[in-house]
Amino acid sequence: MQGFFLGLSNGLMCLAYCTPVLVPFMLGEGRGVAHNFVALMQFLAGRLAGYLAFGFAAWLFNVAVLGRMGPKGLFIGILYVIFSSLMMAYGIFGREMPCAVRSIDRIAGKIRIPLLIPAAAGILSGVAFCPPFLLAMTDAAAGGSLSYSIFFFLMFFAGTSLFFLPMPFVGAFRRLQVLRIIGKMAAGIVGLYYFYAGMIAVIAGIRGA
Amino acid sequence: MKINPPQARQREGMVKTVLLTVVMAVITIIMFSKGKIPQNTKELIALILTILFANTLFFLMVHTGKTDRYRAVYFSTFAVMLIISFISHMFGARGSMSLSEAKVLQCEVPFCHLVIPMTLVPMALTKTIIFPGSLIGGYASIASMFVLWIGATLALGRGFCSWGCFYGGLDDGFSRVLKRPVIKKINPKWIYLPFAVLLFVVLTAAAYLSPTYCTWFCPFKAVTEFEAVTSTKILIQTIIFVSLFIGLVIVLPILTKRRTQCAFLCPFGAMQSLTNKINVFDVRIDKEKCVKCKRCIQVCPTLSMSEESLEDGRARITCMKCGKCIDSCPKGAISYHIKGTDVAGNNNAYRLLFLFAAFLFISIFSAHIIQDGIVRVLKLITTGSMIL
Repeated sequence: MQGFFLGLSNGLMCLAYCTPVLVPFMLGEGRGVAHNFVALMQFLAGRLAGYLAFGFAAWLFNVAVLGRMGPKGLFIGILYVIFSSLMMAYGIFGREMPCAVRSIDRIAGKIRIPLLIPAAAGILSGVAFCPPFLLAMTDAAAGGSLSYSIFFFLMFFAGTSLFFLPMPFVGAFRRLQVLRIIGKMAAGIVGLYYFYAGMIAVIAGIRGA
Repeated sequence: MKINPPQARQREGMVKTVLLTVVMAVITIIMFSKGKIPQNTKELIALILTILFANTLFFLMVHTGKTDRYRAVYFSTFAVMLIISFISHMFGARGSMSLSEAKVLQCEVPFCHLVIPMTLVPMALTKTIIFPGSLIGGYASIASMFVLWIGATLALGRGFCSWGCFYGGLDDGFSRVLKRPVIKKINPKWIYLPFAVLLFVVLTAAAYLSPTYCTWFCPFKAVTEFEAVTSTKILIQTIIFVSLFIGLVIVLPILTKRRTQCAFLCPFGAMQSLTNKINVFDVRIDKEKCVKCKRCIQVCPTLSMSEESLEDGRARITCMKCGKCIDSCPKGAISYHIKGTDVAGNNNAYRLLFLFAAFLFISIFSAHIIQDGIVRVLKLITTGSMIL
């Protein structure tokens, strides 16, 4: 469930970043709620593909790197501390999240089939290297097994996706700037939680070494 | 631009004020005394003082047209009396302010309204209240707090934070210590932090079935009760809540003249802000009268007034309905208002309706606590101990 709640706590921010990409597309097409719903499903499918790929990558990372390190608590703790510090910096000190979905404008021009644009945006949002995503990857890798990593990202996907469901009814999110601020601040607070968990893991790792 | 001193626009005549105060006095006498005269002298004195105190403030509010000035006196007194009453009660019942694991297991932890946002999702999912308090009866039961909260929310919306919260009077009081703020510029984006805290605590409470805000952040544990320090984790929690209390409830309110805990941290306040949408009362600005002197923006304790508010003719969703902007407006352009009515309508009537509901709520909610506080202070004076 940790993946689900990490997703939920970051979903608002994802929404705030992805909506400017999706909403103009939906409004531009102007084919009503049913079409918007299809576009959203394409977007979410692309996003899910990206997340599952990362679940697999997290498992590979665990096998290739963490598995050869003996007790991995200290290393995981250090990763927690680094990524959570980044997340706090982005969340609380007003830095912009490096979300890949923002480059969709450039890429969209090169996609010949318009139907694929939401899916491309979804994949980009699913392979973003933003701090919450890196934290999720660390969490997924810490679990050990392939099934855990995949399931973790599946739940992370579910948590972030809940916020997107009302999107076909465009116009519901008029105050995107406010949502973005709240989302970033919530991510900063989640970062604080992971920072604490990381510090505890580092201290325990040092004591154990 | 030269600004005239605020006008006491919404003052009422002596006859009307006396009539309204008599009605309030009758209700408060019945409610405060619970229909019987105390036999104990200290309790009798406390009852008389509380009735006089409440009704004098109500009289002054109605007669002078000033809301915030007298509300703040009541509100801060309520908070101070709560601390006196609660701490001495804890010493009487447990021998200390700290909470032992045994008391948690016995579900003897007093419930407070700040926990409510954390209990709603777990309650819906598991049909369990994730707080070790007593449901009915006992000290500060869960059921009574829920009933009070629902009633106050329907009547006041986020006005609860200025007319009901028994902690809010602390940072409200400290925010009035200096005549001018030392820190004048605050980035308005911080008003969204309580919403982020709300999102975080609701999710973590649902994930871990634990009231995370109470465990980790609540600054008011410093003046009520806290877990006895028996581990490094509890020590860290203690450092966090003491720092938040000193920073957000004492130091920053003094330096900024804003209610920083309520405006920039409290998740309950964020939830109450959302209830402002369904509440019948709001604070509106008559754009015809407004001269954009921005005095309301300068004085608002929660940054709920902005230039955008002046353009829109309404306060932000975070407005606590304290009345400070209304008192300070030199043109009488800001007023309490009933949704669906004309902004330039009968503002005096709207104000009186709001005042009656809000004042009745705070006076009934606080009566027992203030009386208990007075009894304990009298006991301290006469016997040297506050414990009953």
